[in-house]
Amino acid sequence: MSLIEVKNLSKTYRIPKRQAGMVGALKSLIKREYTTKTAVANISFTIEAGEMVGYIGPNGAGKSTTIKMLTGILVPTSGEVVVNGLIPYKERQKNARQIGVVFGQRTQLWWDLPTLDSFELLKQVYQIPSKRYKENMETFNEILGLHEFLHTPVRQLSLGQRMRADIAAALLHDPQVLFLDEPTIGLDVVAKERIRQFIRKINQERGVTVILTTHDMADIEKLCKRMILIDNGKLMYDGELSKIKERYGSQRIMVVELEGDTPLTLDKVTLLKEEGSRKWLKFDARKITPAELITKLSGQYEIKDLTVKDQDIEVIIRHLYERNAKLVENK
Amino acid sequence: MFRLLARSIRLYLSMVAFSIRAQLEYRYAFVMNILGWAMNYAGTAVTMWVLLYSFQAIQGWTYWELLFLFALSVLSWGLCIIFFFHFRSLDQYILNGTFDRFLVRPIHPFLHFMASKFDVGAFGHLLFSIIAFILAYHKLALSWTLLRWLIFFAALLGGVLIQGGILIFISALAFWTTRSESFYWVIMFPAANLLNYPLSIYPKGFQWFITFILPYAFINYLPALFLLGKADPTYSAVLGLFSLPVGMVFFTICLSLWLKGLNHYQSTGS
Repeated sequence: MSLIEVKNLSKTYRIPKRQAGMVGALKSLIKREYTTKTAVANISFTIEAGEMVGYIGPNGAGKSTTIKMLTGILVPTSGEVVVNGLIPYKERQKNARQIGVVFGQRTQLWWDLPTLDSFELLKQVYQIPSKRYKENMETFNEILGLHEFLHTPVRQLSLGQRMRADIAAALLHDPQVLFLDEPTIGLDVVAKERIRQFIRKINQERGVTVILTTHDMADIEKLCKRMILIDNGKLMYDGELSKIKERYGSQRIMVVELEGDTPLTLDKVTLLKEEGSRKWLKFDARKITPAELITKLSGQYEIKDLTVKDQDIEVIIRHLYERNAKLVENK
Repeated sequence: MFRLLARSIRLYLSMVAFSIRAQLEYRYAFVMNILGWAMNYAGTAVTMWVLLYSFQAIQGWTYWELLFLFALSVLSWGLCIIFFFHFRSLDQYILNGTFDRFLVRPIHPFLHFMASKFDVGAFGHLLFSIIAFILAYHKLALSWTLLRWLIFFAALLGGVLIQGGILIFISALAFWTTRSESFYWVIMFPAANLLNYPLSIYPKGFQWFITFILPYAFINYLPALFLLGKADPTYSAVLGLFSLPVGMVFFTICLSLWLKGLNHYQSTGS
């Protein structure tokens, strides 16, 4: 049996229709109409112990909803979720002992208290033995540099510090599974790297299974072998990151700046975007090489500036989002 | 079972200690909150005195008897808000997503939420009501037997449970409507002011409502009837002995509604 099993999982929300104006507000007091919104539709996947999986999708795709069902916060509308033999929403407190959760958007720490106090309180909440607590604090401190701000109230921490503290807090009780919902949101490059390094270490040395949602594809590239992509609540891709690169790897983007405001028509090239004389061109390197394209362009136009964007996972993902096609790959 | 309870209580106390320390971070607000409430109530007590100065008595209640009534209501409210005041703003926790964290910890969400805040404004209520109570006790020349004191404390506890129950009831609505604080201002706030006067001055229908539906009368009026040996044209003073059982039943009903709401909980997006 896999560590995490998700089978035909769906979640629909009932949202009361709000009507405009005073009359509308009074009306909806008496009779409420609802619209249903499907946040997650019939998703299935399994995750083995020790895996590190990137769970991605555009805003509103259903990532957080899935994470919330896996952590027991939300009750699924239909389908099954099993995490290490437990049904999260039925056994919330038991499940809480085996998982760690970080929501990048908001802290789990006690806002007005020094950071250390939050750790001490969590020690009591999870009944962590003093010896283990000390060991963990030392290990985490080494990589995350917690000592810099242990005595600062959480509200005064910088975003990077807060995230470090939050991740350490989620791991204090030695969970088997770690859920990270946008752990690098809003962080600078250095802070991001530090967090990634820590996550990698925790996964490798402690065998903690990590499920990570993010909008930063670099997180996925640097951490995860496997990627699950969802959009509009549907599973779009589940497989190795490298496979997706191979499949769409021949797509390139060229940004050119041309003299004058000339209209552009070229074969085998699609115009993605235009900002005055700057143009974004997408092409398939198997059909036309960058060199050929440059030759062609310079023959017809005066080129002021030019860059070719290398195959970027970000572009592939955007491409996938845009295509909105079903691409479920059997692992 | 016993160990679980002992652990829960220990955990509750240490979380409360943390909450107090968090509020001490804002020392000025801490002191002002306490003084503010004490002053606020003292103001009401003075207004009552002025009122009684011209009327002598309201429905046969003298000033010191009214102060006793008032002190009892503020005292039980003060004790109540220590534990439950933040329940009124559960909707805020739900709307901004902070409620999620109460569901991913190995503590029961109700206990966890209850322990998350300990309102120091309560000390202001307690400061005023204890002084007012002592004053009234002396001016009325009461000298209670142990049994009377027990009846008093049972009524106090009953009052805490009734008002706590209402706060929990109001907060439970947030699970369905995602708005609950407005209900507090509609239900709780006016009621607290109405409790300052003897029930008998109000219309019959209203008296009935706050005795048998929302059992406010059991918080201070009915126990005060019994403890001060007064009579009411409609209700027997003996009812005043039932505050605690009424409180327990009412609280249980409200709590079960809250737990039902919890299953209905829909987190916010992202």
